[in-house]
Amino acid sequence: MNAVVAIEDLHYAYPPLTPDGRSTPILRGVSLSVAEGECLALLGRTGAGKSTLCLTLNGIIPHLTGGAFRGEVRVAGRSTRACAPGELSQTVGLVLQEPESQLLSMTVEDEIAFGLEGLALPPTEIEARIDEALGMVGIRALRGRSSLELSGGQKQRVVLAAILAMRPKVLILDEPTASLDPAGKRSLLEGVDRLRRERGTTVVWATQDLDRVPRLANRVAVLHAGRIAVEGGVREVFGRPDELRRLGLGLPQMTELGTRFNQSRGIDPVWLTVEEAAEALKGMVDG
Amino acid sequence: MSARFNPYVPRKTWLHELDPRTKMAFVGASFVLLLPANHLTLVLGYLAGVHVLLWQARIPGRRISWLWRQMAPVSLLILLLWPLSNPGGTPVLIDWWRIQITLPGVTQGLLAALRVNGLAFAVFTLLLTTDQSALVQGLVRLGLPFEWGLTLAIGLRYLPLLRGMYGGIVDAQRARGWTPEQEGLVRRLRAYGPTLVALVIGALRLTDTLTFALAARGFRPGEPRTTHRPLRLRAIDWVCLVGLGLLTGGLLIFEVGWR
Amino acid sequence: MAEAAAGPVVTGPATDPAIELRNCSYSYDDSIPALQCVSCSIEAGSWVALVGENGSGKSTLARLCNGLLRPREGQVLIKGEDIRGRPVGEVAREVGFLFQNPDHQLFAPTVREEIEFDLRNLGFPRQEIAERTEEALAIFGLSLCADRPPAVLGYGLRRQVTLASVLARRPSILILDEPTTGLDWGSTALLMDHVGEQHAAGCTVLLITHDMRLVAERASSVLLLHEGRLVAAGSTRELFAQPELLERASISPPPITRLSQRLRPAGMRGDSLTVEAFAREFEALLPESGDNE
Repeated sequence: MNAVVAIEDLHYAYPPLTPDGRSTPILRGVSLSVAEGECLALLGRTGAGKSTLCLTLNGIIPHLTGGAFRGEVRVAGRSTRACAPGELSQTVGLVLQEPESQLLSMTVEDEIAFGLEGLALPPTEIEARIDEALGMVGIRALRGRSSLELSGGQKQRVVLAAILAMRPKVLILDEPTASLDPAGKRSLLEGVDRLRRERGTTVVWATQDLDRVPRLANRVAVLHAGRIAVEGGVREVFGRPDELRRLGLGLPQMTELGTRFNQSRGIDPVWLTVEEAAEALKGMVDG
Repeated sequence: MSARFNPYVPRKTWLHELDPRTKMAFVGASFVLLLPANHLTLVLGYLAGVHVLLWQARIPGRRISWLWRQMAPVSLLILLLWPLSNPGGTPVLIDWWRIQITLPGVTQGLLAALRVNGLAFAVFTLLLTTDQSALVQGLVRLGLPFEWGLTLAIGLRYLPLLRGMYGGIVDAQRARGWTPEQEGLVRRLRAYGPTLVALVIGALRLTDTLTFALAARGFRPGEPRTTHRPLRLRAIDWVCLVGLGLLTGGLLIFEVGWR
Repeated sequence: MAEAAAGPVVTGPATDPAIELRNCSYSYDDSIPALQCVSCSIEAGSWVALVGENGSGKSTLARLCNGLLRPREGQVLIKGEDIRGRPVGEVAREVGFLFQNPDHQLFAPTVREEIEFDLRNLGFPRQEIAERTEEALAIFGLSLCADRPPAVLGYGLRRQVTLASVLARRPSILILDEPTTGLDWGSTALLMDHVGEQHAAGCTVLLITHDMRLVAERASSVLLLHEGRLVAAGSTRELFAQPELLERASISPPPITRLSQRLRPAGMRGDSLTVEAFAREFEALLPESGDNE
């Protein structure tokens, strides 16, 4: 199995707030692997450590945060502990929740150029990659615009383009749609989906947006009490609703409906989308 | 004035297309000229010249008048305080108790105020016609370490964000019944504590995310970088620089020589 | 596309609406108006959702309702009285406002002081402040962290603290600006349950949200804003039954509603708002004979 992301027995605690204070470990033995081309949805309650886990995947933890780090995180064969955070930017791309605090330049074009200038690429190459990145995310029209004037959804797509220009093998998305409206959510996730289909980029997607998970992800992992409590294919994991409820997670509405019918009619459907549920329910009425 | 404080006004004029280093040289020359300037005609002439440049750069009149209004408090302060602390010469206009205001004092005050405005407008001219990336690049090519330039650029960019954040904080506190206006002057300053604390905390959180964003973009301090739009000094830049040198030199001689 | 009638149609006692906007307009600078000629009324004791794309004017409208912004044109009435000229601090006695970003509020050295801040600003007597604060700490599960600075708590707890400090005032009108952003399902349910308790006790609730599931499950009526104009005002069912309108505003009904609309040919009414309601309606349709394997 070619695991592009391999996490082994990861333990991590942020440094304490005061010199004599304690620090609670957030990650207590996380082991997870993601195969090439997969999209893994990372679920868990607020505060479970999804963001923390995302930050370990490109070396920000432990290099920029300090703290107590134990275990191994390898991305595309390289250990994050051995590499400086900037070095991994061509392997791992990271998009965080707030678009505003990820933008560094005044114009969209300069934003995308920033990372490429850091790679010391010649201007012609930079130009080509800017065009490529804008096309991938579908924002060519925004090229000359000031990043201060864009909507939240547009800003987040600019951030995504800026990250993609570095051509990472793995894309980590830490609740990238949390602060966007439905239109913004749709356009960003469509961009990611297109990326997966056209380039086979591996995606790790931390999210609370359960209804959209089945459309984008093919595997799900649930982080709870510092460990991966449940892991598997989307259908497999959502087919265990009691367990998910016990872990404090909700369910996609269609899956919830399925469990309701499971209880009352003894059938065992796992519906992930409106289409699936509609098909099955039509059958129940007709049959 | 909206919260979108971006000094750069995008246009395609010859002034905009000049290399930022040329424009920085202009600012430097302005400082050299204005700081010791002692002749009203010179300073007024300078201000007129700067406004011609701004007109050439097609900067909207509204922006220019806004800039003058921003400078007004400083100008006013100088106009009031200078004569008070420089009561030399004749004729004396006001002589009351220990306060003496003389006409030379007033004219000197005016001159000082105009010089400050002149210096400010030199810098405005640079900022209005140079976009952030070119500005930073210009400074770096002149020897500023890239990290400093980046700090400057990000600072400029985040000013409107912090302002917006502060506005949001003030709104949130007002909605909780916070009314600093009701307090006396001293207590009012203390009453701003909640908003300032929230702003500092917010700014610190912002710095965290910003650091992560920089790391995610592969930023490594000290490593060599290329640039997307390299700067080049063109013929017109050389013409301007030479002209600037001659003009400044000539005016300095005039300044020193004319009594 | 029909313009909606002003205000949702609600029968009830002839009391003043909790919030009424009469032909309000507002713009932030002298360019595009954020809100144009908006008129609506929110009945006392109702739970209304305010929806629309980002930039459609939802936050602007909410801020007109507690005096943070003053309309360039038009009037804003709270409980029948025009609030023009009344300072925000005074309107805050009637209207509690929960902001989208809890960090815009949190500044105090302890959670307890954070909750007390609201009550002190509004001039409650000391004894009552202490009582209400303790009550709030208990109800919102904050007793354990009462003496810790809110700024170091996790996001979910920070959200709880801001909710506690607003609800400790027991406002008669509660405005919530996207309060569930970034919260997981459990925390969302908890927050909404607390708001629900207030609502059951007579509080009027205006909820700004993008989460259509919440709208369907909790709100009885909806105001839809698009590009600064009020384009729909009515019950949630009425709104979800207008696909072209929703399309223009880039909103879609929750999955369960979409499912029930799809199953109209099979006999469903097409207006289910919750999973449970859908299930019951559907089961009534099924042929009595036997189960499907």
